[in-house]
Order: sequence, then C-alpha cells, then structure tokens
Amino acid sequence: MAPSEDSLPVLKILLIGPSGAGKSALLLRYCEDQFDPESTTATIGIDFKTKKLAVRGKAYKLNIFDTAGQERFRTLSTSYYRGAHGVILVYDISSKKSFASMEKWFDEARLNANPDAVLYLVGSKLDKVAVGGRAVSFEQGKAFAEAQGAEFCEISSKTRENVKRPFVEVVDKIVQKPQLIAGATPGSKSIDFDMGGFPSNPCSC
Amino acid sequence: MESLNAETWDTVICGTGLSQSLLALALSRSKKRILHLDANDFYGEHEAALSLQEADSWAHAHTGGDVLHHDEPASGKNTNENVASDKNKLLTPPVLSGKESTLFRNAHVWKHPNAEAQGLSFPRAYSLALAPQIIHTKSKLLSQLVSSKAYRQVEFLAVGSFYVYGTTDAAHGTTLARIPSSREDVFSAQSIPARSKRALMKFLKFVIDYDSDEQKPIWQEKADNPLSEFLVEHFKLDEHLRDSILAMTLTLDGKVTVKDGLATIHRHLTSIGLFGPGFCAVYPKWGGISEIAQVGCRAGAVGGSTYMLDTPVSIDEVGHGGDIWLKLSNDISIRTTSLISSQQTYSTTSPTISRLVAIINSPLQSLFEILAEGAPTPAVAVVAFPSGSLPNNSQPRLDVPVYAFVHSSETGECPSGQSVVYLTMQTTPQSSHVLDIALATLLQAVAADGDVLYKLYYEQANSSRHSLVTSQGSATVFEFPSPSLGLAFDDESLDTVKEAWKIVMKDDALDNAFMQFEDREGMGDDDDDYD
Repeated sequence: MAPSEDSLPVLKILLIGPSGAGKSALLLRYCEDQFDPESTTATIGIDFKTKKLAVRGKAYKLNIFDTAGQERFRTLSTSYYRGAHGVILVYDISSKKSFASMEKWFDEARLNANPDAVLYLVGSKLDKVAVGGRAVSFEQGKAFAEAQGAEFCEISSKTRENVKRPFVEVVDKIVQKPQLIAGATPGSKSIDFDMGGFPSNPCSC
Repeated sequence: MESLNAETWDTVICGTGLSQSLLALALSRSKKRILHLDANDFYGEHEAALSLQEADSWAHAHTGGDVLHHDEPASGKNTNENVASDKNKLLTPPVLSGKESTLFRNAHVWKHPNAEAQGLSFPRAYSLALAPQIIHTKSKLLSQLVSSKAYRQVEFLAVGSFYVYGTTDAAHGTTLARIPSSREDVFSAQSIPARSKRALMKFLKFVIDYDSDEQKPIWQEKADNPLSEFLVEHFKLDEHLRDSILAMTLTLDGKVTVKDGLATIHRHLTSIGLFGPGFCAVYPKWGGISEIAQVGCRAGAVGGSTYMLDTPVSIDEVGHGGDIWLKLSNDISIRTTSLISSQQTYSTTSPTISRLVAIINSPLQSLFEILAEGAPTPAVAVVAFPSGSLPNNSQPRLDVPVYAFVHSSETGECPSGQSVVYLTMQTTPQSSHVLDIALATLLQAVAADGDVLYKLYYEQANSSRHSLVTSQGSATVFEFPSPSLGLAFDDESLDTVKEAWKIVMKDDALDNAFMQFEDREGMGDDDDDYD
C-alpha cells in the first residue's frame, strides 16, 4: 500500500526572530505563495501552516509554526519549542538592530529546543538591496551563521527569491540525523485523542 | 511599549495559571482586546513546571511565612473562620499576581553533596511540576481541549498502576500491592483470599451504577459518613482492601465521605479504557498542567492577545467612567473594562498540604509495567501509604495518608535513567520528616538502588473556593480561586473559567460556543513541493 498522506513523517519547524523581521511573510509566501506588501502589523490567527516537501526522494509533512506575536515581549513559551526538529531564525537585512538581536535568539533556541534540532539563519527582505536598503552585508550574515554552526541564506518573500531554500536545506539537515526524526512518525508513546471513545483504527498497525 | 496605553483593553488577565490560561484559550476567537500578564518570568503561576535553577529561586522566594499547621481539626471551626475574614482584610495584596504568593511557604531545597557526580544533569534537563495533578480521562478538561482543538499541542501520557503500601499477607510482608480495579484484576490478584474477592467484586459492581435508583438506598442515608466505615460495615471489606479503595479516592485527610468517595471511585473506574486500554488518567508531558497553561496562552496569542511576563501589576483606580486603571511594574498606566486575576490570599479554614519533590537517579522501572494488552507504557505511577502504614517512631501516630506520584523520564521532567517522585500529604508538624520517611520507604519497597539527588519541600494552602466578583459601574474585577490542592484535576475549576468568560464576552456569550472551535490551520490548500 502506498503511504497515505497521514502516514508521512511530520517535521516541526519553527520561525523565530524579532518583530517585523518578515517571519510571517516568509511563511505565507512559502506555504501559500501569497505576499501582502501592505501588511506590517503583527500576525493574528496563524498558528501553523502545513506543507509537504520531498527531500532525497522521500516525502515529509512540515508543520511550520509562527510566533503569534509572542516574540514582541520575548514571551515565547517553552512549549512552543517542544519537539521542534528545525528552527529558522529570521532577521531583516535592512535593519542592523534586527541583526544584532540574533545572538539572543540563538541563545533562546539552544536553551529551549532539543539539542539536536537544526538551526538555520535567514536574512530577509533581500528585495530592499535594489533600493539601497541593505544594512547588513551577506558576509556579516554568513560569518555569524558559521560562528553559530548554522547554515545561512538571504531571501525575499516579495520577489520569491530563495524562499524555498531554507526549508529544503533545513529538512535535508534534519533527515541526516536519525535520532532527531525517530519521533517524527505519528503515534509513538503519547495517547491519540482522535481515537478517543471510538473503536481503534484497524490500520494502526 | 507606548501602544499598551493607547487603547482601552477589553480585559487584562493577570497570571498564567491554568484557569487564566484556559480563559485565554476560551477568548482566543473573540476579537476582544486582551492583555495577558504574569509577574513571573515563566508561564504557569502556581501550576508552573520549573527548571532546577527556577526551582531554587522559587524556593528562595517562598522560604518564609507563618506556620500553617492545622493540628486541631474539627474543633474550633468558628474561631478559624473569624481569623479567616480578618486575615483576608489584612492580606489583600496590592499586587495582583505576586511573585511571592502567600499560598506557598516553608520551601527549602536540599541537594546531594555529590549530586553532579551521582548523575544530576544541567538545570534545564529538569521540569519540576508545582501541581502534578493527574487528569481522569472522563474529565471535562480533556473534552474542552478537544473541542477547542488545543489538544493537538499537548502530548498526553498514560497514568498506570495505583499501588498501596502495606501488609498484604504474612508471607509477603510489607510491600507495594497493585490496586485491583477491574474484574480481571480481581480474578488474577493472588494476594486476595477468595472470600475477599467476592466482597470486592460486589463493591466494584455497586460503584459502577451507585447513583441509580436501585443502588441509591444502599448509601444515601450514610452519604456524609466516612467512606472507610461504610466499606467495612456494608461490604465487609478487610483492612487491606479498604485501604486500597480509599487510595483510589486520593483523599488527603483519609476522611472522605461516602458521597464524595463513591463519586471519585466511580470517576476512576469509568475512566478506565476510555482513551485506550489499561489506564484511567493522563498526564501532559513536560510538566503537567503547566503545559496546558502554555498552550492556552499560545492560543490566546494566535488570536491576537498581547503577552508580557515578568510584569507585576497593581490597581491604581477602579470605577471612574467604568474603567479600571492599572499600573504595570514598568510604570506604564493602562486602562481596561475588566480585570481577571487569581486569589493570592490563603483561607485559614482550608487545609494545607506539604509537598516533597525528589529527583532519583534510578528509573524505578518496576513501577511502570504495562497493564493490559495494547496499553501504552505508563509514565506515571501512583503509590498510596495509608494512614498509619509508615514506620514512624514519633507520637502521636500519623493519621493521614501520604501519596507518591512517580514520574518516569518519559514525562520529560528528568533525563533518562532517572525519575521524579512527587509526595503529598496534609501538613502536620512533622510533615517534612514524614515525607522523607515515605520517600525512603518507597525506594526500599521497589528495591531501587537509587540515590536522592535533589529535593524541594514546600507547603501549599489555597484561597476561598469561590470566585470573587466586584463590579463598579460597568467595570468588573474577577478573581479565580487558587488551584485546588487535590491530586486529581477537579472539573469544578472549569465552571469558574466559564464564569469569567461570560464577564468578558458580555452579550456575546453564547453558552454553546464556549470552547467550541474549528481547527485553524488551512489543511488541504497546501500544494505538494517535491524538489
């Protein structure tokens, strides 16, 4: 039997970084190919988005979580980080302040996420280079990522440039860590409430 | 920061305990403007799960306090109540969600002198629950988490065996015996003589429909009598079986009434098998109730609420023009039409409990056996030490039970190879000592060669059990009762969440819309992306 959609390994990917870095724009462009140039307000109503992605010939279901504004006063909960396979840290290349905060965000990710989780640095708003808006050079971003042991790229949600790359590269790194994806197959030790009160699924084994 | 005072909030919620966080979840689709704050720099308030570092500083903040012993029960109830109302006046805290609540006291931490050498890991490897309640599968909390779709963010683990410590028979001596709770259990239990098996079976059959017209006459007249007497007199249960049945109620004073006791045992038995074979209760991974609180807050944030931690609040003025003015610790003044917090003042008429949390460098594997075919591996085991069962040289004899919840590393509360034991009893002058004895007795009974690496002791009281509502004009101040001291989650607290929800929602509150939400994520509109 071909693997059904529900049996794909699920990977939890987090987006974190300071307010206004473009996390939600990246999420919406990657998952729904949408971009709203007017939208600058905090994100409301998005918990996470789902996207299927195949890497090295194998399909995965990504659950990509947005911060829901809890980055504003740095109140992301420890439960947000639970079970995350990858963390994409996003800053705005047109803002030095945004870039300067990344060290704190790396610290927070390391403190709260699984020690094996893949960290990935993204410089966003690459389109601003065309209007002379770059404040952080590619080399600065690259060097910082290397110092943190993370991969790096620059993207533009506006022009679509590179928007798939962080996700493909994060998943590629994740799947090379068997201990990290061991728990990605649904239904390990926890209790499945979807089955609650009903006869158990005959296909579950 | 400036934008915080640019508008009038529909509600400001102080504290991120379970009640406030469930309220945040309930309001998460309401489009109300909500500011949710906590004085601590962590989520969960009195139900938080703490790293060792957080536990150390939490204990430091709660070392002091008058002694809350209740050594003269029953007698002098009236004087107690007078004290309570006086205290309430005196202790009404100016800060709404204080870091140093009066509900906790006499906290202290003990660490093994060679803890690290013995295996104590880094502080964040631990997540110690301040309120390690189990949740029966029948609880409305679970059905509300399902109907609100918040359950997907919480991993629930099975609570396995309930054990009772005591003398089962001469041949076995003093041991832990698994409490038989189903027909199969009773049949296979070798320690129970045939005559007692029949008595126990009769009782189990009775409890399943104890509230029916047929069974009610059996107990109704004795509703307020102690359950322990009823079990012996009416069902002829021997001492061991009586203790086993009492243990199932998780009663902390050993004096549970027939009415309350039967209800609790009924909940226990009818919860078995509801979500799968072999367990009657669940426990959220990574620190229990605290995890549900965080998920509630996350739902609030996704719905547009603003979150701030490490921000104590005090009331500036109430009532002018129907608004409440609050002052945040950073001197910002904000305005709201309603204010929700939880009571920080203890009621001297309620009992106080003593808790001991201990990290053990042994997995205590034998307590976590799988109970039925196809059942999940349990992550929590319950051990009851009935009144008077512990070796105790001190006088008078200890007449309250002690309970231990043993958590395996599957709970995420400790590294693998270790376990966390949560002991609870009603406070007596020797509780700290008695809990130490119970811990040592437990380790001996499971023949574990484990050492205690770290211990956190504290005493916990609770506030009045009712919510407090004060209205001035159109402004309302609502205070939740503090968390219940029970060892199993009590559905009554959900009623106060709904009460608070109605206050904030005003005319928009439709009873059948409470906690009823659709999934948020747009499943199905994602296209495949196979590179």
